Parts: sequence; C-alpha cells; structure tokens
Amino acid sequence: MNGKERILARLRGESTDSLPLMPITMMYAGDLIGQPYRAYATDYRVLAEGQLRTAERFDFDYVSAISDPAREASDLGAAVEWFDNQPPAIIESRALIADKATLDTLALPDPESPGRMQDRVQAVRLLAERAGTDKIVQGWVEGPCAMASDLRGLNTLMFDLSDDPAFVEALFDYAVRMEVNFAKAQVAMGATLIGVGDAAASLVGPRLYNQYVQPFEKRLISEIQALGVLVELHICGNTRRIVKGMGETGADIIDLDFLTPLSEARAAMTPHQVLLGNIDPVRALRDGTPESVEAALAECYAQAGPAYIVGAGCEIPRGTPQRM
Amino acid sequence: MPDLQKLYDAVLNGDQKTSVAITREALDAGTDPMVLITNYMVPAMDEVGRLFECEDYFVPELLLSARAMKGSLELIRPLLAARGDEPVGRVVIGTVKGDLHDIGKNLVGSMLEGGGFEVIDLGADVSAERFIEAVQTKNANIVCLSALLTVTMPSMRTTIEAMKAAGVRDKVKIMVGGAPVTSQFAEEIGADGYSDNASSAVALARRLRAEATA
Ligand code: B12
Repeated sequence: MNGKERILARLRGESTDSLPLMPITMMYAGDLIGQPYRAYATDYRVLAEGQLRTAERFDFDYVSAISDPAREASDLGAAVEWFDNQPPAIIESRALIADKATLDTLALPDPESPGRMQDRVQAVRLLAERAGTDKIVQGWVEGPCAMASDLRGLNTLMFDLSDDPAFVEALFDYAVRMEVNFAKAQVAMGATLIGVGDAAASLVGPRLYNQYVQPFEKRLISEIQALGVLVELHICGNTRRIVKGMGETGADIIDLDFLTPLSEARAAMTPHQVLLGNIDPVRALRDGTPESVEAALAECYAQAGPAYIVGAGCEIPRGTPQRM
Repeated sequence: MPDLQKLYDAVLNGDQKTSVAITREALDAGTDPMVLITNYMVPAMDEVGRLFECEDYFVPELLLSARAMKGSLELIRPLLAARGDEPVGRVVIGTVKGDLHDIGKNLVGSMLEGGGFEVIDLGADVSAERFIEAVQTKNANIVCLSALLTVTMPSMRTTIEAMKAAGVRDKVKIMVGGAPVTSQFAEEIGADGYSDNASSAVALARRLRAEATA
C-alpha cells in the first residue's frame, strides 16, 4: 500500500498494512532542509521541498500546504509581523476589522491572483505534481472562528460574542465564503484533503461553540466536501467540552490536541469516526525517547481504536531529535 | 445606598454597565472606595478565577468580568490616588519578544488588578529593553513575563539576563507563566515564581510582595 491508499483505506473503514502517519510538520520541515521559516512561508517551492523531503525521510503518508494562519489576512491587507525564522503573525492591535463597518466593505480575496493565498495554491499544485499519486496532498484553510479572530482580533471577538452576536455571525459567514473559495482553488490544483484549522474555537466554551461556531464549521466542512474531497478538522488546545460538537460537524478526520484524551473523543463519537492525534508534542516527542514515543502511540491507539491516524497534538516541534 | 451585593454579581456576570453604575452610586453615597474593592470586587474576581479553573467559565466570560471590574476601577483609582493610598504593588506585565499570544497575559493582568495591584501592561512582543525601561520609570516591584511558544521561552531568560546587566534585576520580583512554562524552567532561568493560572498568580504576587517587604 502507498500512503494515499493507506489513508483512503482507513477512511473507508478497511484494514491497512500499517497505521497511517499524518503528523503536522511546519518549522520542523523548514529546519530539515536548512531553510529559514520565512522562506518556507513565502516561497511555495521551499515549502514543497520541505514537505517532500520530510515525508520521504520519515515515511509519512501525506504532504501538506499548511504554514501559518496569516495567508488570507495578508491578502486582505491586514498588518502582519514577519520574523526571519518563525511563522508570520497578524498584529492584533492593528486588526483589519477594528471598526465593524469595515466588514461590509471587504470583497472576497481572489486565491488565483498574486498573493499569499496563491502561493499556497501553487504549493498544492507542486506537491500534487511531485507526490500526488503516492501520497495524500493536503490543502489548508482557516476555520470561521480562527479567521474571524485573525481579522477582528481575538480579544475583541471574545467580547463581540456577547455584545453583538449578529456581527459575529456576519463575520463567520464572510469567513466561510472566503475559505470555500480558497479550498476550491486548492482542490482544482490537486488537493485530495483539506485541513480546517480553528484554534480559537477551543477558547470560547461549549455554549458559545455550539451556538455560534460549530454551525459555521459544519457549513464550511460540508461545502468543501461537496467539492469532492475529504476534510480534516483541527482545533488545538483543550477541546474536551466541545469535542462532541466537533464530531457532529461531519469532518472525515477529527484531529485533536494532546489536552483532549482520545478516549473522551471516542466516547463522544461513533466507533467509525476517524480520529487523528494526539501525542504530546513537547513532552512525549521533543523531550522524549524512542521508548516514550512508542508508549504514547500505543496509548493513543488503545484509546482511539482502529479508526485512528497517527499524529501529534499539533505540529511536530522544532528541535525534535531524529532517531530511527 | 445601593445594594453592594449587586456589584459583586455584576463583576461575576461580566455586566460592566451595572458594575459602573453601582460603583458610581456607592461612591456618591460616600462608601469607602477600598471597601468596594476588597469586599466586593476582589471576591468576585476570585470566584471568576475559580469558575475558570473548573471549566464553568471560559475565556469570553473571564474577559467580560475583567472588563466590568476595570470599568469600576476607573472610577475608584483617582480617588485612591488623591488620598495617597498605595497599591498593594506595582506590576509590569508583558508577553516576551517574538510572542503575540496575549489572552493569558491579559487575564493575569486583570486578576492582579482585581487583587489591588497597579498593573502596567506593555502588551505583547515586548523587548527586554522595554521591560527594563518600564521598571525604571514606573517604580515597579514585580515583573510578569508570559510566553506561549516553546520558541519564545528563551526570550524569558534573555529578558532576565538583560535586567541583570542593566542593574534592575534585584529591584523587582519576577514571575513567569504561559502554557509551556514549568516551575522547573522558572527556576532554571532565575525567576522568583511561576504559576499555571491567573488566580494563583495573584496569591503568588501577594506572597512575593510580603517577602520583599518583610
Ligand atoms: C489563541 C492562539 C493563538 C492566537 C493568539 C491571539 C492572542 N491575542 O493571544 C494566534 C492565532 C495569533 C496564534 C498564533 C500562533 N500560535 Co497560537 N495558540 C492559540 C491557542 C489556541 C490559545 C492560547 C490561549 O490564549 N490560551 C488561553 C489562555 C487563558 O491560557 P494561557 O495563555 O496558557 O494563560 C494561562 C496560564 O498559562 C497562566 N499564565 C499565562 N501567562 C502568564 C504569566 C505569568 C507571569 C503567570 C504567573 C501566569 C501566566 O495564566 C493564564 C490564565 O489561567 C493555543 C492552543 C491552546 N489552546 O493552548 C495556540 C498555541 C499557543 N499556538 C501555537 C502556535 C505554534 C502558534 C503559531 C506559531 C502558529 C503558526 N504556525 O503560525 C502563531 C505564533 C504567533 C506568535 N508569534 O506569537 C502553539 C504553541 C506550541 C508551542 N508550545 O510552541 C499552541 C500551543 C497550539 C499548538 N497546540 O500547537 N495563536
């Protein structure tokens, strides 16, 4: 079985020759090819090279165009801070939608015209060209809550949820429309799976998550699935209180951080729901040993059952030692 | 004279309008501003911290409570300053260089304010030089450093080293925190204290102040 067959078999509930491997690598992949992260995030050829070499080195079953949450916001004109060897970050004190009225004036960005979104679309194209027959090629978009916080500022968004929920819904709606377009462009270039990252959703608690966030995640996921591809939902942080709702979004893969025990996710979902995760990236991997990694993996598998794909809680940390 | 229990409830429920209105009424009626803080606002923020720890409250609720408390504090602070009341301590807080995560730092800052400290918030992505300058110009006695990324944790060490080089390290107690930080790391880099959540950060700050003034 090649990587693509292995992951697809797992998603169909069929048996596989070994556990599918889909750990997120970003800074790790840049380091592996000796490139500063700034180059990784701005030049699709560097990203593709990093992904292909990392996947080859560790026999991963997929490659991914994930890099940082600022691509869409950059193209919309948000203020972004660049670092030489760290992901770029959106400057919250100069948030693009600091004034709510700005939302009505924003057009949807075109992922095909020059910019950081197009760079990701190109990364997907190159990855599909070079590895698409053997491996799953993953595109990436931001979830509604993450995108809203990128544009409005996370602190402000937290207040909006109670001060002006109608505005929040309008903002989530905008985010969903933008991300469906972005996903479409990546699917056209050969993405077979789209990852949706919605980190900020882990902060809002179950009431606000179920009422406002989850319905938009669900809509985003089903609209991407309608393009004929698979969807993975990744929410970092502690999602114990919202994990049931995550399962109800309909995502093909639910990717969990280490703070949410897979046993709890399994209990909240069907036995067929594919779970991905959730080895502690720092303690078990970066600071771990081959033995601790094996033990952590065995524990994940024991908790998740067969509908399981190997990954860490979030990206494999920079500086994780290579021992094979 | 307003029912001051409503001040407690307003802070607990994150209702800024009510907390400000009651505070104003109480002050107009001649209530000692310190009583409002110590008997109503601090206990309310303590309860908010407790609810957050047991996952009844989440970040939005915490921020709303902090906003309600700050609204009241804005009315109270000038009165305290006018009568020469000193805060429990002066805290300079910020997220270290390269790190833009500020939610946890904001919560710690708010809880400290709720606990009677004066808080000078330098924001996120703060260089060692800016911490040093704030310590020098604001007469601070506690510095709080926050980091959420393993790649920015070393900035905590370099900030402390720079404070030593600038000769201000011994003027202050240094507290560190943020999800990846551990008490072991805090000790390694020569910080005076670590806490993994906002409410115990207040207890820690009080203890460090007591040690310093003992
Ligand atoms: C929200 C968030 C963001 C937002 C931040 C917005 C903002 N205004 O803060 C955005 C989208 C901008 C963001 C960006 C990034 N993020 Co981020 N983010 C998070 C997330 C989801 C929540 C963090 C949070 O606010 N927690 C809630 C608060 C209340 O908790 P806390 O900060 O730990 O604070 C508590 C205690 O630690 C303590 N405390 C905090 N500070 C202090 C200080 C003192 C003195 C004391 C005593 C106590 C104390 O008290 C607080 C209250 O109880 C976490 C995942 C998670 N859920 O943990 C990832 C996470 C922190 N991010 C991560 C990463 C990798 C990034 C990016 C690099 C992503 C990327 N690839 O582009 C960028 C980096 C940007 C930068 N240069 O800083 C990783 C860090 C991994 C690591 N260990 O290094 C995490 C853990 C996600 C993950 N699982 O991988 N992120």
